[in-house]
Amino acid sequence: MAEFTASVYQNEFLPDGGTDVNAIVTVTCAGAGTAGRSGSGDAGEIIIVDTSGSMGPATMAAAKDAAQAAVAEIVDGTWFAVIAGADRAMLAFPQVSSGPGMVRMDASSRQAATDAISRFVGSGGTAISTWLDLAGQLFASVPEATQRHVLLLTDGENRERPGRLDEAINRATGYFQADCRGAGTDWQVAEIRRIAQALLGTVDIIPRPDQMKAQFEEIMRNAMSRGVADASLRVWTPQGAEVLFVRQVSPTVEDLTSRRTPVNPLTGDYPTGAWSDESRDYHVAVRVPAKAIGQEQLAARVQLAIGNDIVTQGLVKATWSNNSELTTRIDQQVAHYTGQTELAQMIQEGLAAKASGDEATATTKLGRAVQLAAETGNDEATSKLRKVVDVDNEETGTVRLKRAVDKADEMALDTASTKTTRIRKETP
Amino acid sequence: MTCPSCGTAVAEGARFCEACGASLGTTPAAPAAPAAPVGEVDHPLGDAPISAPTRKPASALPDPPASAGRRPCTECGGEVGPDLYCLSCGTKAPSERDHFEEHPATWVAGVCDKAIGKTRNEDAMALLAGETPGSRAVLVVLDGVSNSIDSDVASLAGARAAREVLRVPLPAGMGTPQGRDAAAAKVFANAAAAANTAIIAVTDPDSPNPASATFTTAVLEGTRISWANIGDSRTYWIPDAGVPVQLSVDDSVAQAQIASGVPREVAENGPQAHAITKWLGRDSEDFVPTVGSMEVSEPGWLLACSDGLWNYASTPEAIAAQVRAAGSAEPLAVATALVAFANGAGGHDNITAALARVDLGRPDLGQNDQTPTPGGEPSDG
Repeated sequence: MAEFTASVYQNEFLPDGGTDVNAIVTVTCAGAGTAGRSGSGDAGEIIIVDTSGSMGPATMAAAKDAAQAAVAEIVDGTWFAVIAGADRAMLAFPQVSSGPGMVRMDASSRQAATDAISRFVGSGGTAISTWLDLAGQLFASVPEATQRHVLLLTDGENRERPGRLDEAINRATGYFQADCRGAGTDWQVAEIRRIAQALLGTVDIIPRPDQMKAQFEEIMRNAMSRGVADASLRVWTPQGAEVLFVRQVSPTVEDLTSRRTPVNPLTGDYPTGAWSDESRDYHVAVRVPAKAIGQEQLAARVQLAIGNDIVTQGLVKATWSNNSELTTRIDQQVAHYTGQTELAQMIQEGLAAKASGDEATATTKLGRAVQLAAETGNDEATSKLRKVVDVDNEETGTVRLKRAVDKADEMALDTASTKTTRIRKETP
Repeated sequence: MTCPSCGTAVAEGARFCEACGASLGTTPAAPAAPAAPVGEVDHPLGDAPISAPTRKPASALPDPPASAGRRPCTECGGEVGPDLYCLSCGTKAPSERDHFEEHPATWVAGVCDKAIGKTRNEDAMALLAGETPGSRAVLVVLDGVSNSIDSDVASLAGARAAREVLRVPLPAGMGTPQGRDAAAAKVFANAAAAANTAIIAVTDPDSPNPASATFTTAVLEGTRISWANIGDSRTYWIPDAGVPVQLSVDDSVAQAQIASGVPREVAENGPQAHAITKWLGRDSEDFVPTVGSMEVSEPGWLLACSDGLWNYASTPEAIAAQVRAAGSAEPLAVATALVAFANGAGGHDNITAALARVDLGRPDLGQNDQTPTPGGEPSDG
């Protein structure tokens, strides 16, 4: 049985008249077990491989190999299916035309799926909305599979009329999760990130075909280790308070503020998807009416809810004080993740400006990103930034855009922008 | 057993958790009523430090019921969650030690409150009452001295120990008024000694600053009020119409000055106003209380309180004005109003107000109740 714990990092002291309370809540899960084995329903896995004409022979061969490796990682008993995606989606396995569109994994279905993948041929365009919709229909055909996960690989830009993909994303949101990967450099990071963020998954670039198999294996292993099918971050705030934002800040920055589902007038749920043995950090900011000096009150109860069961709770407090030594301190964790959130934003905005030819803005934003990456100790961001800009002064954020940049490096910087590092724990 | 809120180990029978303050909702089993020493001729009432049984168990008063569940939020009246914060407005609920109420009978109640200006409640209170209004009530108030260690734990232990001694009716002595007073004085001395023993028992033997406390108690039996005092907590008799009186006499520097002719207002606001000359605790040299008694002949209120209340209304007239301003015949409502008054006036010290309503409606009941039963008479007198 999975065990959850929560700890809160904050400076609870507010000055006279102060209203805004910031806290980092770390939620840790242990003993999650294996997907589909927790008794709350079966697990379902769908692998979607881009089989459009743009897939070159080397990429296609690698994609087949990787998809077969992913199939090998799926635990026996898991419901699964394989979709070949082009300008329409095709159910590659199981080859059925009616009834349930997924089968349980066992030795023979694994072999049959592997054979089906080996027959993939690239042709046609890219209409990702049809891929997502077919995945949704397949999951719907097997009601007992309640933990639904998709692994999606694409190599090109979506070619559909504007809005169609967003409609499909909306239909899938809250129904299944998706980890997305882009092969090569002809796909759009922003587009695929939109899918992954809405569907509570990850996005990354696979620059070279030979890296694909390892990535697929890892994604599938992670998916299989998520023994807790679905959980929500439940946030209670007092009467008269306002939730300024709720963000996941580790392992990646995901703004959840707009994804609130009201539970009652004071409480809302934010989706977190499935959990393995892992730790995630959330930044919660609440505005409460100011109280008198010396008063203490609860600014938020931050809980993890599985269904309606509260499995852990962290308390965010506010105490008004006239001791400025207490009230001016900024909690280290809050400061760290505020910096990391801004870092993600600066990278994305800087690269967008660069793509649109606005070099001045790009230089400023990426310079600020270099500065923040150094300040918050995000070495991965620092090394990825240094492939895109020449750094004159890290401390002041003075940079120059590199004249010749490998497209893959730029995309890797973009996809990794939301990845955060944890604060270096101080030894007492 | 462990606290259901925070999991900390708590003592068997504890009413609240020492770590998080959550109410445990358990009533300590009333100590087995003292066995009547039938046939025991020379039972030692003499110098026994704690109460010796003097009455049949049947006349012993039960403990007040434990408050059921958590009280509603003090700020908005909403429900308080298991984490001790209001489920509606988030206000932190005071811990059971920081604010508690006892309501042993409809006509007797008290409130013991940390006060807004303090971080810890070192006052303590222990009440008893017979079900019949006007029958028998015991009010015990202790005020832990704030510059001593653990005085919050000590004062509560002391109050409850004194209550044990006063659980059975006061003795009537040999029948003469003097004999009756002397017998009551003996019981009050035992109660103070029991409180003293309990305070020392919870004091760390190595403490350089041992816990100490004041002690005041008032017992109403029918129309008779008896009181005892050490330090500067007080008892008052506040008739509905007549002249209110302060019953207890403070053991304080201020009181000594008043006795020597310094006006009360000057003495009570002087630099040594709150220095007490007698107290309970390991370093106490004299813990024999001063005692007194009176017969009441009109309806009114018997009040025992700590200086957190009378600091803001010292004279009998001033405190009577506050009691009357509460405008209620419900003792809990009046006690709550008195605590609110002291908090409103600044709340610089812990506040305790315990009241018994005297209506004199059925005086006979009280008389019957205190009729001594044979077998447990104090032998002196």
